[in-house]
Amino acid sequence: MNKAESWKEALVHLIPPDLGREIDIFETQIALRKQGKIDERVFAETRLRRGVYGQRYDNGQRHDGVRVQKLKLPSGGLTKGPETVWDAPGMMRIKIPFGGLSPQQMEVLADLSEEYADGVSHVTTRQDIQYHFVHIDDTPSLMRRLAAVGITSREACGNVVRNVTACPLAGVCRDEVFDVTPYAKASSRFLLGHPDTQDFGRKFKIAFSGCRDEACGLTSMHDMGAIARKEVVNGRERRGFEFYVGGGLGAVPYQAKLFDEFLPEEELLPMAQAISRVFARLGEKRNRARARIKFLVANLGIGEFRRLVLEERRKLAPDTRWTDYLSQAHERTEAPRKAGVSLNGGKQPGRFDEWYATNVYRQRQPAYVVATVALPLGDITADQLRALADIARRFVKDTIRTTVEQNIALRWVSEADLPALYSALCEIGLGEPNAGTIVDVTACPGTDTCKLGIASSRGLARELRTRLGEKSLELDAAVKDLRIKVSGCFNSCGQHHVADIGFYGISRNINGYTVPHFQVMLGGKWKDNAGAYGLPVSAVPSRRIPEVVMRVTDRYVRERLKGESFQDFIGRIGKKEVKAMLNDLTRIPSHDADASYYSDWGDPREFTLTDMGVGECAGEVVSQAQFTLAASERELFEAQIHFDSGDLKKAVTTAYEAMVHAAQGLVKVQSQDVPNDEEIILSEFKQRYCDTQLFYDKYAGGKFAEYLFKARDDLRSAGEVEKELALQRLQEAQLFIDATHSCYNKLSSMMPANRPAGNGGASAGEG
Amino acid sequence: MDLQKINVKFFAAGSGAVRLTDFIDIFNSWIQSSEGEYYDVADYSHMQAGPGIVLVTHEANISVDNTRNRLGLLYNRKQPLRGSNAEKLQFVFRAALEFCRRIEREPALKGKVRFQGQDALFLVNDRLLAPNTDETFRAMKPELEDIARKLYGAGGFPLDHDGDPKQRFSVLIKAPQAFDVDTLLKNLGGYGPQLAGVSEA
Repeated sequence: MNKAESWKEALVHLIPPDLGREIDIFETQIALRKQGKIDERVFAETRLRRGVYGQRYDNGQRHDGVRVQKLKLPSGGLTKGPETVWDAPGMMRIKIPFGGLSPQQMEVLADLSEEYADGVSHVTTRQDIQYHFVHIDDTPSLMRRLAAVGITSREACGNVVRNVTACPLAGVCRDEVFDVTPYAKASSRFLLGHPDTQDFGRKFKIAFSGCRDEACGLTSMHDMGAIARKEVVNGRERRGFEFYVGGGLGAVPYQAKLFDEFLPEEELLPMAQAISRVFARLGEKRNRARARIKFLVANLGIGEFRRLVLEERRKLAPDTRWTDYLSQAHERTEAPRKAGVSLNGGKQPGRFDEWYATNVYRQRQPAYVVATVALPLGDITADQLRALADIARRFVKDTIRTTVEQNIALRWVSEADLPALYSALCEIGLGEPNAGTIVDVTACPGTDTCKLGIASSRGLARELRTRLGEKSLELDAAVKDLRIKVSGCFNSCGQHHVADIGFYGISRNINGYTVPHFQVMLGGKWKDNAGAYGLPVSAVPSRRIPEVVMRVTDRYVRERLKGESFQDFIGRIGKKEVKAMLNDLTRIPSHDADASYYSDWGDPREFTLTDMGVGECAGEVVSQAQFTLAASERELFEAQIHFDSGDLKKAVTTAYEAMVHAAQGLVKVQSQDVPNDEEIILSEFKQRYCDTQLFYDKYAGGKFAEYLFKARDDLRSAGEVEKELALQRLQEAQLFIDATHSCYNKLSSMMPANRPAGNGGASAGEG
Repeated sequence: MDLQKINVKFFAAGSGAVRLTDFIDIFNSWIQSSEGEYYDVADYSHMQAGPGIVLVTHEANISVDNTRNRLGLLYNRKQPLRGSNAEKLQFVFRAALEFCRRIEREPALKGKVRFQGQDALFLVNDRLLAPNTDETFRAMKPELEDIARKLYGAGGFPLDHDGDPKQRFSVLIKAPQAFDVDTLLKNLGGYGPQLAGVSEA
């Protein structure tokens, strides 16, 4: 028998003292919370910052398809956060900086998934690993066992710097400028627990990319993105980054803004620190929905934001950690397991050729390749993960990365080993081809485990994966290269905005039944570091989404021009035409005729939204008013697109409509039944909010409400719209919508039973 | 050793008659007829040789498990049990068998699923408590033989210990002939006076 009584005792010599101390403190906090000596909100943020996260039924209730059941959770009223019952099994998120893993770490992750979760490790869209159904009492042991192999869950959730991601090909990519791995690693270490990153209003996500043109790190959709760049300065080649801030997905996606065309490598960490300080100081704190740095950058303008950051940078006291790592950053950080030998011809095993075509990437180093292990829905069993660790030892040592497409990449495979590697993967059920193709559908957890999930993203992804996988060999090459990404709600954890074909979960009322739907998003761009965001086309019942995929892709194959990309094709035929093409798919049989349309994929229960709880993701309490506010933001986004395309009249009209909807959202707080009639909405809004000065900013007074009425009057005058005026109207619309969020927050705080989204202090989510 | 986190798996006799996904509906129907003791259903039908379909409860996870491509009913006890190790073993084996019986009698399956009862896999889901060593096997063997005798009678039944140090401690109990679930439950007897109704530690 093992003599150690606990993992703490058994691993004490393997855990860095600081980290061990932190876990001890967390364990003490658990004990104190059980005794009621820590406030539940404080404890919630504490556990979130340790990666311990709530799941869907952690409020102790579940709709079983017929009634809401109160779950038997033995500790009664004890909670681990607002409405999060103590015994409710939860999610554990584990940070894997830049996705880098060693075989030893994989083995520990496998063991922990067996002992504390349900036997599955889930690779997320930000290179993390997640477990589900974990009991909070097990988390200190889980953390210690991770710490003993150099992994932490610290700051995996909460309003902090999340996992730092990087291109999984960094260091071996044929197109990269240089290997960004050391910089991602250094950023992750430097910012973890840094005092300047502890007072954010929301999460902060960082990504690194080695090149501009490929998808790589998806820097455009990150709070801070760095793309490798070299410049010759005074005759000497220097490394640096094309440096971006203020991107993000969520309900309203923002493309990151260029902060610096060339940020020298030695300035990377101090600039990240300075940005953190400005974000902590000036970022929104009360209104969670407006608290990401993208809103701060948008509000200030990139010029002013840059000025403030540079001013902050000048104040920083020098820190040796800014540059300590640089001397090693220029050296190769990885060594192959074997000498590179080219793959010779001859007969290969099974579906090797198919697998080779989609799962193998030729490295820039001759005779080496990256082999991508395709994980269905990002899931891998404990047995598979352990076996994969052995396979990695056999073929590549510790050059392993998780990917944002929810797969695992084995780097530095000698080409000649590929048939043996493929056979070894097949033996453990991981020899599936189609990595990075339309079959390899990405999905967030959705209604399976997420409190904010509206529709079953994993259920849909599973269905699409099965259907597309069956016909993968018949798929046209142009279609095969497309990507599908699915989110369970508008918060975009499944990254639906950057997919060729994206979906996010919504619901619609049909004949008195709530029916699961997905909003169809087309035209997002995966390449160019998530270079463009898709636009909503139509809301389609969940059960009919596979038909949407088939119809859209069939038409693309049939009508595409030579060399025409999917984005260009969608742009050419137009959103209106696409919507018309899908129109019949928005209809479903009556409930009596076929009740299956009224339940979701992989879930036999009649669909309901009563399961949705108090979220810890990018939202929290999602009321009808908030949905309307979110819808108004999407409309405003569309207005911006019209502006970009030069249709100024449409831009200001759409922006005005967005403002009306935002006003309607506020009216709904007081009166759910407000009709979709512009005049009535405006009248109600004026009466309920303007005349009462409820919609009144402490500093700006009634200015924002005036924007709404001015926009209406302008449209009625129907004159020609100048570009400058249109831009101004769009900015005013944005300010008005911002103000409606603030007002909503204020109202919610006045009504304890309807607490606003920002007061829980909890935040997480991949989106 | 204070034995905890006991897992027991009984294997299905043939597995082609039903689909894993059928158990999503079945477990959800169990939830509907329960009073809050079952929390959720996790669907891993898309994974090869995976955990299958899992019914999550506070005390245990119950799954139609396909690990190593051997379909069966896995009872994974999570919460601590009181009593002697013999009583805990009796409790978990009985709980697993009762779920087997419930599945066999599930109307929606129309008798298509039977458990062969001949093999029973015992695991301890705690590598600290029970590292997968010969020493653990020697310590556990008498108690496992006792429970095997209860289940299968006095006949010979090899205890097959897989000593892979990376795996959890597990022993496959193999009876010389097939037993049906009802017989095994009868052989095993009740939960025991100390555990009935008071299983929580």
